[in-house]
Amino acid sequence: MTNKYLDKHVLLRNKDIPNIRDINVYIAHGGYDALKKALTVMNPGEVTQVVKTANLRGRGGAGFPAGVKWSFIPPNVKPVYVVVNADESEPGTFKDRELMGENPHQVIEGIILCAFAVGAERAYIYGRGEFKNTFVPLKKAIDEAYNNGLLGKNIMNTDFSMDIFLHLGAGAYICGEETALLNSLEGYMGQPRSRPPFPAAEGLYAKPTVINNVETLSNVPPIILNGSDWYRRYGTERSPGIKIFSLSGHVKNPGNYELPLGAPLRYLIEELGGGTMSGLPIKGILPAGASAPMIPPEHFDVMMDYESMAEANTTLGSASFIVMDETVDMAWAAEKMVHFFKHESCGKCSPCREGNYWLEQVMHRIRSGKGTSFDIDLLTKITHQMTDNCFCPLGEFAVNPINATIKHFRSDYEKYITL
Amino acid sequence: MSDLVTLKIDGIEVSVPAGTMIIEAANKIGREIPVFCYHSKLSTVGVCRVCLVKVGTPGFDRATRQPILDVAGNPVIRFFPKPMPACSTPVSAGMEVITESKESLADRQAILEFLLTSHPLDCPVCDKGGECPLQDLTYAHGRGESRFEYQRKHTSPKKIPLGDLIVLDTERCIICTRCIRFQDEIAGDHVLAIENRGRDAKVVSYTEPKFDSKYSGNTTDICPVGALTSRDFRFKDMNKPGVRIWELTNVPSISNYCNMGSNLVLGTHVGEIRRVMPRQNELVNEIWLTNKTRFGHHFHSSSHRLTAPLIKENGKFKQATWEDALSLIATKFHEAGEHIGGIAGPHLSNEDLYLFQKLFREVLNSNNIDHRICLNSAIDDDLAYEIGVGIGTDIGQLAENSAIFLLGSDLDEEASMLYLRVRGAVRRGCHLINANGRYTKLDTVANTKLRYNYGSAVHLVLGMTATILDEGLEDKNFVYARLEGIDKLKTKLQAYTPEKVADITGIDADIIRQAARDFAKAENGIILYGAEAGNDTALHASIRNLALITGHVGKKDNGVTAILPHCNSRGAADLGVIPHRLPGYHPVADEIGMSAKEMLQPNHGLQAMYIVAADIVGEVVTCKSAIETTDFVVVQDLFMTETAKLADVVLPAKAIAERDGSYTNLERRVQVYDPAILSPTPTCWADWHIITAIAGRLGAEWTHASADGVMQEITEQVSLYKHMSFENLTKPISLERKRQHYIYSGMSFTADVREGVQWATRAENQASFFELKFIEPENDMPQSDIILVAPRVAYDGGMLISQAEILANLIQQPKATLSPSVAQRLSLSKGDTVQLTSSVGSVALPIAIDGKLPDNVVLTPRNLAGSVAEQLLDGHNIFIGVKIVH
Ligand SMILES: Cc1cc2nc3c(=O)[nH]c(=O)nc-3n(C[C@H](O)[C@H](O)[C@H](O)COP(=O)(O)O)c2cc1C
Ligand code: SF4
Ligand code: SF4
Ligand code: FES
Repeated sequence: MTNKYLDKHVLLRNKDIPNIRDINVYIAHGGYDALKKALTVMNPGEVTQVVKTANLRGRGGAGFPAGVKWSFIPPNVKPVYVVVNADESEPGTFKDRELMGENPHQVIEGIILCAFAVGAERAYIYGRGEFKNTFVPLKKAIDEAYNNGLLGKNIMNTDFSMDIFLHLGAGAYICGEETALLNSLEGYMGQPRSRPPFPAAEGLYAKPTVINNVETLSNVPPIILNGSDWYRRYGTERSPGIKIFSLSGHVKNPGNYELPLGAPLRYLIEELGGGTMSGLPIKGILPAGASAPMIPPEHFDVMMDYESMAEANTTLGSASFIVMDETVDMAWAAEKMVHFFKHESCGKCSPCREGNYWLEQVMHRIRSGKGTSFDIDLLTKITHQMTDNCFCPLGEFAVNPINATIKHFRSDYEKYITL
Repeated sequence: MSDLVTLKIDGIEVSVPAGTMIIEAANKIGREIPVFCYHSKLSTVGVCRVCLVKVGTPGFDRATRQPILDVAGNPVIRFFPKPMPACSTPVSAGMEVITESKESLADRQAILEFLLTSHPLDCPVCDKGGECPLQDLTYAHGRGESRFEYQRKHTSPKKIPLGDLIVLDTERCIICTRCIRFQDEIAGDHVLAIENRGRDAKVVSYTEPKFDSKYSGNTTDICPVGALTSRDFRFKDMNKPGVRIWELTNVPSISNYCNMGSNLVLGTHVGEIRRVMPRQNELVNEIWLTNKTRFGHHFHSSSHRLTAPLIKENGKFKQATWEDALSLIATKFHEAGEHIGGIAGPHLSNEDLYLFQKLFREVLNSNNIDHRICLNSAIDDDLAYEIGVGIGTDIGQLAENSAIFLLGSDLDEEASMLYLRVRGAVRRGCHLINANGRYTKLDTVANTKLRYNYGSAVHLVLGMTATILDEGLEDKNFVYARLEGIDKLKTKLQAYTPEKVADITGIDADIIRQAARDFAKAENGIILYGAEAGNDTALHASIRNLALITGHVGKKDNGVTAILPHCNSRGAADLGVIPHRLPGYHPVADEIGMSAKEMLQPNHGLQAMYIVAADIVGEVVTCKSAIETTDFVVVQDLFMTETAKLADVVLPAKAIAERDGSYTNLERRVQVYDPAILSPTPTCWADWHIITAIAGRLGAEWTHASADGVMQEITEQVSLYKHMSFENLTKPISLERKRQHYIYSGMSFTADVREGVQWATRAENQASFFELKFIEPENDMPQSDIILVAPRVAYDGGMLISQAEILANLIQQPKATLSPSVAQRLSLSKGDTVQLTSSVGSVALPIAIDGKLPDNVVLTPRNLAGSVAEQLLDGHNIFIGVKIVH
């Protein structure tokens, strides 16, 4: 029994099976059986269909159904690429890192299944610039897969062949955004592209491309092996399945926890996380790193699925929960996050490039005791001017920390106003 | 034509092709949506966000897929929750756009406020002030006050030189990336980029030398703020007091450096040219200028200008009155009788050239005139007269169904504006076949690259023609209706099948065949040929045949043209400044005169020479003795050139901006330039005026009082030019065309848009008939391992360009460029000197090494100071076999 909601790990199987990063151990525990099933008794369309029926939603943040995305790939344009988003740069998010470092073959198997489903012969894993260490076991696992006939020509002696390439970015948050990622992968500046065209039509090198998050793809082997009905037994009707929650901040037991979607937030924080280190009450929780509005205490009973989180005026995003106890000055926290976005803004569009800089300046002024009450409103007005006007979601995310903290913890700002 | 989509913008219905962006649809009905990053000549990026508008589409019922209608039966429009960028949102059927909703006006204000947070607002000392889109839009839409009270970008560096010509002010830059897109997309010189991200992002040039592009000046026009300015106009940088742009008087003119006749505006202030800006002509230069044109205007105000007539006495020039100089000339010309010759440079206006030939033919009774100073510069008058490019041809707009066959010219150097336009065509999908003996810049975009051995271009053309006839790809209708001699040609070409020419050309037979098919099958086809293809009648006949059998003649977007060397080479030939043709290409009735080549031989037998606007000695130093041995030489020019120094009388002429006139470009487009500076040098006369005065002294009764009047006579006398009255040539374009080529935001491009007039070739007459001519190529391939190739380059050793200090570092110095392996074989390294010896002469040159050059070529531009290459050439071709020794 892994926890109250899950009998055994489906994704973080490394927690149950020692040394599963070794290919033999992985195979001994049913590894690559899903691939064998797909290659021998299924056709690509059926693989996509199972993933679609399972309603596996993208784990990179947006929650778009993976099977639907795969079915957008036009049937007669070649080549098709699979790109794996391993840029994991959201503050407080560290699930993909554990998957790639500890259970890499499941990631690889997921990639091969995806490539088979969409007719790709090449997959690129785009890793966060700082992931040097994580890439060592992943690279080793890829080599093992090649040596075992699971990658390269005629995989498992079938007609299907494919290659996987690893690429490390240079360390930019924006390169997690899928089109900026594609630009970066092609050797251009990591800045988002206009959509349309969407990657499914014109992605990498202007060819049809599926981009999925590491965790999304790690879900695919168990789904193919056990079927969509099995998968849908977990989670809610509209958010089915299993999800990794990265827990950090003022909790006793930070780490990655695997739960079905729709599990209660309180269970994650209190039962698994062990509550706050200090024992002090929690002041606020960030549900998706810096990108989503903070959850105030009145919503601590929210369920962790896409729909319930939306009802609580926030998003599940990458499901990285950062817990802050009472000691935290929310104006300070917001300033940190504004600094993050200012630093990570790619600079392509004016509202995000200039707006974040301006926000940071005003935050500084307030926090250094030189602000007026007008400045708190000014912050809101600037965020208002950025909202809906930016080129990509980063600029839209950037306003969340400020707006939510002003809304719920305005006194934390007001205490700096002395003028 | 793609399908039309109908939408409503601010309640007005408009239909546009599918795929059009909202902003262009809005422009069609005269709604201007503000923009910074959008530019109609560049790809859209949608980054500044100032163009946000409210957009809605008809709602559809999910179940029935029918539009949802309101009670009145009108479709219910669902507006998107977010505003959409008009520049990068394509239209769709039934869409409704509100360009000035309350929300978008607020958004616009917001964006402007954001942009101004990083802008220094130093308008009082900004060269863009007065024609700055940021200034204008802030005036129209801004808040009028800023809530941003911090240090602005004031810490960012200002005045960063990007090369010699352009200065970057990073404080003012709004990161719209127009400059980068221009360089990447239009110029093809990838020399700019954004470095860093977020607020630290800035434009950088990472090439050495910085911002290394012949077209960089254009970025200063399209930069929507004062971040990129030209060193030439930066008012605080100059030694003289600055001038604000609203103080300038703008005068339409034409480039004297450009064989396309780029349209420009001279910005003048108290009798001086302060800047040169492009003037829109979508058929010629669109809205671009080369740096040579933009920055090369300084000769006008040079202190070296000739200011008075000079008469040589005892080997020394003495200032003289016009009266004395003209009488002396009249006497001497009279004495010389038929032993007189004249050379007039192809930079003169049509009016000057026409009167020059009239003076010789009607007053001096001589056909000894020419404008071709050195080589027969790849100009074949018959091809131009008979075929040319079709009227209305718009090379920059050629697209998928078209092909350009470029043969033997490095357009980037020899026809820089045409280079930009050919690139534009290729971007639109036109098929480019680039054939040359070496790498040239268009190879980077060419669909087919053919690398022939120098001297074999004619065989390549014959091989292509043979393929077309063999495979039945000729334009049968055209062949049937308008050609004669097809069978004879077929027979002749049996000796020139791709297999048979593969060896001599060095090009695989299949590749020749494929190129032939691509050219023949294209709906529109244009052949552009330059001097590196060769220079003989067999070549010109083969090009003529290829154009004729493919039917690529006599219609818009089809035809043939030589890459002519100068701004008015075409006009000089049109108006009879050649020994064998009268104006309009009529053969001379009497004896053919001497060509320049003959006149410049040592024993030419001439007693007098009249040389106008041609620095013969500067271009071909070996011609010196021919001039020295002439009894009486008159040179008419702007400067004391090497040639003028040898003259007996020197006459000071007006420069282009000081007078008016017309030029004919290589597409036969005649265009007028206006006078800008009113008589700053009253002692200089316009060339046509001087020629008229000489004719008068010789007893002619000419009454010309203006260039306009001379052209009036030309329209009456030369039927090719019958539509070329100044009144016609200066007609502004129609409103409809203006709308078609609308350019956004605050620049002076709009000043007086004229498109000029092209004269009709014989092919344009749909009843005209052509006989195919086959001329057996002589085998005059250079017999040598190494071939000297001496093309023209843009930054040459010319007298005019050398007056522009700002371009001084760009002027090329004579050198011999070799491939690395040749350098290695001869153990040469940078800085070494080699001795080049041809059958004609021998010169020593410092070397340069270029990895793109083939091993059998040594490159030495011919139009550089000292005319070194000319000393090795045989006066026939611009390539010749040489020996190299260390
Ligand atoms: C600013 C920004 C950063 C993002 N960073 C990541 C990331 O680090 N990892 C990731 O998987 N998705 C990231 N995404 C989401 C991706 O754009 C994309 O939606 C995702 O890769 C799709 O995969 P999925 O459908 O499997 O989630 C980011 C999106 C934005 C707008
Ligand atoms: S919103 Fe920010 S990150 Fe996104 S394109 Fe604009 S500047 Fe770049
Ligand atoms: S320098 Fe001018 S054109 Fe270039 S990015 Fe900056 S504002 Fe735009
Ligand atoms: S975003 Fe449309 S003009 Fe810049």
